[in-house]
Amino acid sequence: MKKLPLHTQILIGMTLGLIFGIICIQSPGLSNFTIDFIKPVGTIFIRALKMIAVPLVLASLIIGVANIGDISKLSRMGGKTLGIFIVTTVISISIGLSMVAILKPGYKLSEDTRNGLMAEFNTNAAGKIDVAEQIQTRGPLEPLVNMVPDNIFQATTNNSSMLQVVFFAILIGIALLKVPRESGSTVLHFFNGINDVIVKVVHFIMLIAPYGVFALIASLLIEIAGDEPNKVWELLNALLWYIITVVVGFACMMAVIYPLLIHFFSKIKYFDFFKGIRPAILLGFSTSSSTATLPVTMDRVEKHLGVSNEVSSFVLPLGATINMNGTSLYQGVSAVFIAQALGLGLPLSAQIMIVLTATLAAVGTAGVPGAGLVMLVVVLEAVGIPAAGIALIMAPERILDMLRTMVNVTGDASVSVVVASTENALDEEFAKKHSSD
Amino acid sequence: MKKLPLHIKILIGLVLGVIWAFISSALGWNQFTINWIDPFGTIFIRLLKFIAVPLVLFSIINGVSGLSDVTKLGRLGGKTLLAYITTTVLAVAVGLILVNTIEPGTHLEEEQRIKNRLTYEIWLQDNNIGLPKDGKSYLSDPQYEKYLSEAQKGREMSEAERQELEEKMKTVEAQKEDSPLQFVVDMVPENIIFSISNNQLMLQVIFFAIFFGITIVLIPKEKAEPLVGFIRGSNAIFLKMVELVMKAAPFFVFCLLAGVVAKMADSPGEVFELFLGLGSYALTLLGGLAFVVVILYPLILKAFVPKLTYRELFRNLSPAQFLAFSTSSSAATLPVTMECVEDNMGVSRTISSFVLPIGATINMDGTSLHQAVAVIFMAQLHMVDLTVGQQLMIVFTASMASIGAAAVPSAGLILMLMVLQSVGLNPAWVALIFPIDRPLDMCRTVVNVTGDATVSTLIAKSEGELNKYN
Repeated sequence: MKKLPLHTQILIGMTLGLIFGIICIQSPGLSNFTIDFIKPVGTIFIRALKMIAVPLVLASLIIGVANIGDISKLSRMGGKTLGIFIVTTVISISIGLSMVAILKPGYKLSEDTRNGLMAEFNTNAAGKIDVAEQIQTRGPLEPLVNMVPDNIFQATTNNSSMLQVVFFAILIGIALLKVPRESGSTVLHFFNGINDVIVKVVHFIMLIAPYGVFALIASLLIEIAGDEPNKVWELLNALLWYIITVVVGFACMMAVIYPLLIHFFSKIKYFDFFKGIRPAILLGFSTSSSTATLPVTMDRVEKHLGVSNEVSSFVLPLGATINMNGTSLYQGVSAVFIAQALGLGLPLSAQIMIVLTATLAAVGTAGVPGAGLVMLVVVLEAVGIPAAGIALIMAPERILDMLRTMVNVTGDASVSVVVASTENALDEEFAKKHSSD
Repeated sequence: MKKLPLHIKILIGLVLGVIWAFISSALGWNQFTINWIDPFGTIFIRLLKFIAVPLVLFSIINGVSGLSDVTKLGRLGGKTLLAYITTTVLAVAVGLILVNTIEPGTHLEEEQRIKNRLTYEIWLQDNNIGLPKDGKSYLSDPQYEKYLSEAQKGREMSEAERQELEEKMKTVEAQKEDSPLQFVVDMVPENIIFSISNNQLMLQVIFFAIFFGITIVLIPKEKAEPLVGFIRGSNAIFLKMVELVMKAAPFFVFCLLAGVVAKMADSPGEVFELFLGLGSYALTLLGGLAFVVVILYPLILKAFVPKLTYRELFRNLSPAQFLAFSTSSSAATLPVTMECVEDNMGVSRTISSFVLPIGATINMDGTSLHQAVAVIFMAQLHMVDLTVGQQLMIVFTASMASIGAAAVPSAGLILMLMVLQSVGLNPAWVALIFPIDRPLDMCRTVVNVTGDATVSTLIAKSEGELNKYN
C-alpha cells in the first residue's frame, strides 16, 4: 500500500467501501456489524480532521498575516478574496438556474410522487423552517456582529465559530506586525512551531484516510438504504431528473468554470491543479464537511500547488465558511425545481432575487450547522415559494451534500490559486513538479 | 480631526451619538438606527471584551513573574483589598447621607405613598414574612381604611416585566442557598480552559494567573525563559490591539450611544418623561455619583499624591471614563483603564496588572452607592422607615454583593434584588426603577472604573512604583 499515491489509496478505499456497502445491504446482520464496528472508524477520521482544523487555522493565519508584513497588502488581498468569492458564487447560482431552466426537472415529477414526498418529509422540513425563521428575525448586521468573538477562547472551543477564529487571528497577526520585533519574535516562533507540528499531525491523520473513507462510504450506503432499500431506490428514482440537473451543474463548475478561472488568472495547467488537489476533493466527497477537509486542502494547496502560506491560510478558512459554490448552485436548482413542481412560474425578477438572496445567505448563515437547507428556506421565502416545498428534495440530501462539498472545496482551492497568482505569491513551476506527489 | 486628543474625539462621538439618536427618533428613523448603527456598538463591546480576558491573563502572569520577591504579592493583595473595601464603604456612606437628607422618596403625594405602604403590608401578609421592618402597621389603623380597596388592586406589572423579574429572582435564590464562603470557592477554577472561555469567570482567571506567575518565579530562570518571552510578547500584542481598537473608538462610541438612546424609548419626549417621573431619585443618585468622582476620589488622591493636579487627573483618566460611560461594562473598559493608568498616570505595570483586573470584578463603588440610594428611595416611597441599623445592614449586603457579582452589565439589578430581600422589602419594587436603569448604569460604571484607577494609583504610590508625580 505504501507505494501508492494518496489519492489512489483514497480511491481504493472508496471503491472497496462502495462494494462492501452494497454487500452489507443484502444482509441485515452484516449491516449491523458495519454500523457498530466499522462506522466509528470513519467518525474518528472526521473528528481527527476537525480536531486540528481550529488550531491549524489559528496558527497558520497568525503566521500568514505576520509574514505579509504590510497591512495595505492584507486589506487588498481581503478585498480581492471577497470579490472573487462573490463572483464565483453568483456564477454558480446562475449556472444552477440555467441548468434547471433547460432540463426542467420539476415538470417531470408526477403529482402522486409529489404528494408522497411532501407527506414523508413534512416534519423534517418543519424543523429547518424553524431554524430559518430564527435567522430571519435577526438584524441585518447580525452576521457582522457574530464575526467578532466576545471571548477568543470560547471561539476556539467551537468548530462552528471558525469565522470568529479567523477574525481574531487576523487581528493578532496585525498586532504582531506592529509590536517591536524583539517582543513579538517569541510569539511568532511559538506559532511557527505549532503550525509545523499540526501540519505533521495532518500527515499522520491522512495515513488512516483510506480506512476512514472506506468506513464512511460503507456506512453511508447502509444508512441511506435503511430498512427498505427498494423504497429508497424508488424515491431517488422519482427525483432522478432533479439529481441529474444538480450533478450536471456541478460537473459544469468542475469541468468548465474552474478550468477557465485557473487558465485566465494563473499559469498553472488545470490538469496539474486537479492532480494536486485530488485528495482534498475526494475527502470533501467522503466527509461532506469543508471544515474537516480544510487541513488537507491547505496542505495540498501549499505543498503541491505552490501557493504561499500567507494566501492559503487567509483564503481557505474564509472560503470554507463563506464561499460555497456547490451549495449555491444547489440552491438555485432546488428553488426553481420546487417552484416547477408546485406549478409556480418564476419570472426573471424572481430569478435575480434568487441570485441575490442566495449570495447573501451564503455569507449570512456562515456557521449555522446544516446550513444548506436552512439557506434554501431563506431563499424560498424571499421569492415567495412555500418553504414547506423543501420536503420534496430531502431524500437525496445526503448524496448531494457530498457532491456539494466536493465543489465547495474545489472552488476554495481555485480561488486561493487565483489570489496567490495575482499577488505574486504562487510558485508556478512548483505545481508541475509536485502536483502528483 | 487628527490633532485632537483621543478623549476629546470620544467625547465628540458621544455627543454626536446622542444628538443623532434624538434627530433620528424625531424623524422616525429609530429602526434604522437599531438595525444599522447599533450593531457597531455591539461589535465594539465584543472587541473590548475579547481582549480583556487574554490581557488580564497575560498581564497578571507577566506582572507577577516579574516580581523578585513573592512575599510582596501578599502585602500587595492585602493592601488592595483593604483599599477597595474602604472606597466602597465611603461611596455607600455618601449615598446614605444624600438619600437621607434629600429624601427623594417623599416627594410623591402623601396619598399615593400610603397606598404604596398598604400594598406592601398586604404583600407581607401574603408571603408570611411577618411585620414590616419599622414595626408599624398601617393596615390595622382605621384612619387609612379608605385607601385599602385601591391598594388591594395593587400595581399591575406587565407580563414582560414579571418574566424578567422571575428570571432574576431565580439567580438570587440560587445564590442564597450557597454557603457564605461560596465566593471563595468560586474563585478557584475547575478547568482553566473553561474559565478563560467564559467572560464571567474573571476572578478564576485572576486566581490562576497569579498562581501561574508565582510558579514561574519559583522555577529556574533558564527553564522559564521561553515561556516568559512568549507571555511578554502576547501581552505586548494584546496591548497593541487595544491601541488599534481605540483608534476607532470615537466612531464606535457614536454608534453605541445612538443605539442605547434609540432602544430606550420611541421618541425623545418619552425619554424625558421617564426621567421626570423618577427625577428626584435620579438626581440624588447622580449627585452622589458625581460627588464621588469629582470630589471624593480627587481628595483621596490629593492627600497621598500631592503633585497630581486636578486637571491632570481627569485628563489622564478621561478616555477610560468616557468608555465606561458608553459601554457600561467595567470588564470591557478594563483594557483601556490599564492603558490610561500605566501610560498617563505612570503606575507600574506590575501594580496595574494586579490591582485593576481585581478591581473590575470586585470593586464596584458606583454600584454599591446605587444600591444604598435605590433601596432607601424605595423604602421611602412605601413609607417604610428604616433605622440606622437596617441601613447599615444594607451597606453590608451591598458591599458583599458587589464582591460576589461578576463584571457584567446590569449585574446591578440582580444585586439590588438580593439587597431588598435581605432587609425584608419586596423585590418586585425593582420594577419601579427598571426603566431608567441603563443610563444610570452608565454613570455607575464611570464611578466603578474611576475607583479602580484611583486605588491602583494609591497602591502604586505606597509601593513606590508610581513613575510620575513624585
